[in-house]
Amino acid sequence: MDEKELIRRSQAGDGEAFGVLVERYKGKVFSLAYGFTRDRTIADDLAQEVLIKAYFSLPKFKAKSEFGTWLYRVAANHIKDYLRKNKQRLKEIPLQEAGDRVLASADLGPEEERLREGQRKVVQAALARLPEKYRVILTLRDIDGLSYEDISGILKLSPGTVDSRLHRARRKLREKLTGRLIRQGGEHGL
Amino acid sequence: MDCKKAERFLLRSLDGRLDHENRALLQAHLEKCPSCQKKDREYQMILSLVRPQTVPELLPYFKERLLAKLKEKERTAPALLWVKWAHRAVAFSLATFLLFGAGILFFQPQEPRELSRTERFLLQDENPLGEAGSILDQKKAEDRNMMLIFASVGDTDVSRRYRP
Repeated sequence: MDEKELIRRSQAGDGEAFGVLVERYKGKVFSLAYGFTRDRTIADDLAQEVLIKAYFSLPKFKAKSEFGTWLYRVAANHIKDYLRKNKQRLKEIPLQEAGDRVLASADLGPEEERLREGQRKVVQAALARLPEKYRVILTLRDIDGLSYEDISGILKLSPGTVDSRLHRARRKLREKLTGRLIRQGGEHGL
Repeated sequence: MDCKKAERFLLRSLDGRLDHENRALLQAHLEKCPSCQKKDREYQMILSLVRPQTVPELLPYFKERLLAKLKEKERTAPALLWVKWAHRAVAFSLATFLLFGAGILFFQPQEPRELSRTERFLLQDENPLGEAGSILDQKKAEDRNMMLIFASVGDTDVSRRYRP
């Protein structure tokens, strides 16, 4: 069935039509939430909440943008709220510890794989410590791989602002990691 | 090209948004600048680490759980709507009450000012000869004089008082 028709029927309260939209977009919403949280259960809960919110906000959707862009905007705003409310909890793992914890565990397989996983954790911990606006844009671009145009539509920013904010975010992330991951990477020959 | 500009180009090149000409300029700078070469390696490494290796599957029965929650929410929606509007109604009533109170305090109505005789004639359409007419209608001269005297007693302007 045509997406416009599905949206129109969902706006009229047709749960079955909305079910088809859920099938189409659940993976993308989950992937976005996972990119932010790196926790399968939390990402699943967030994806459910986002789609419920979208269903009740559908009457306000005026098709000025693509449905996917609109849904991403709802998702990004909901996840931002979640991150704001859970700021403290998400920052619990100290940056250095995040790497050490994985590096210290002996049964993770080959040495290189363990090192890589440790570095990945350090990067995630550093990402979680960035200001929200940088974290959001890095997640949308570098984790979810969205285009500049999509990010511009989702965050309601001009393409120029997306460009400059993304560059600033990458610079900040590198600054946070210099002397931690970079030094650690150097020690391990990266 | 200085290192600051090189970093800007470097960041742009990560997204493949650097044109051929600028890419060549960046390449030329990188070849002779070890510091920017290091930055380039670091950005590449961070970018590769920031992307999750794999995104796990959704938990089972995602759609079924979602549609069940939707039904539940729809059942409770009218009550929630009432609560939402009740909160707004309380806030609105309070705001109206405060505005009304402020209005009473700051905008007390003024006492109506007494109109001058001219204003009365002009604004209230009084006949300027109304009072004089009844005096002039008197047939006897004494009555007319007496009435003129009494009428002019209240006049504050002495020159306008009747002097027979």
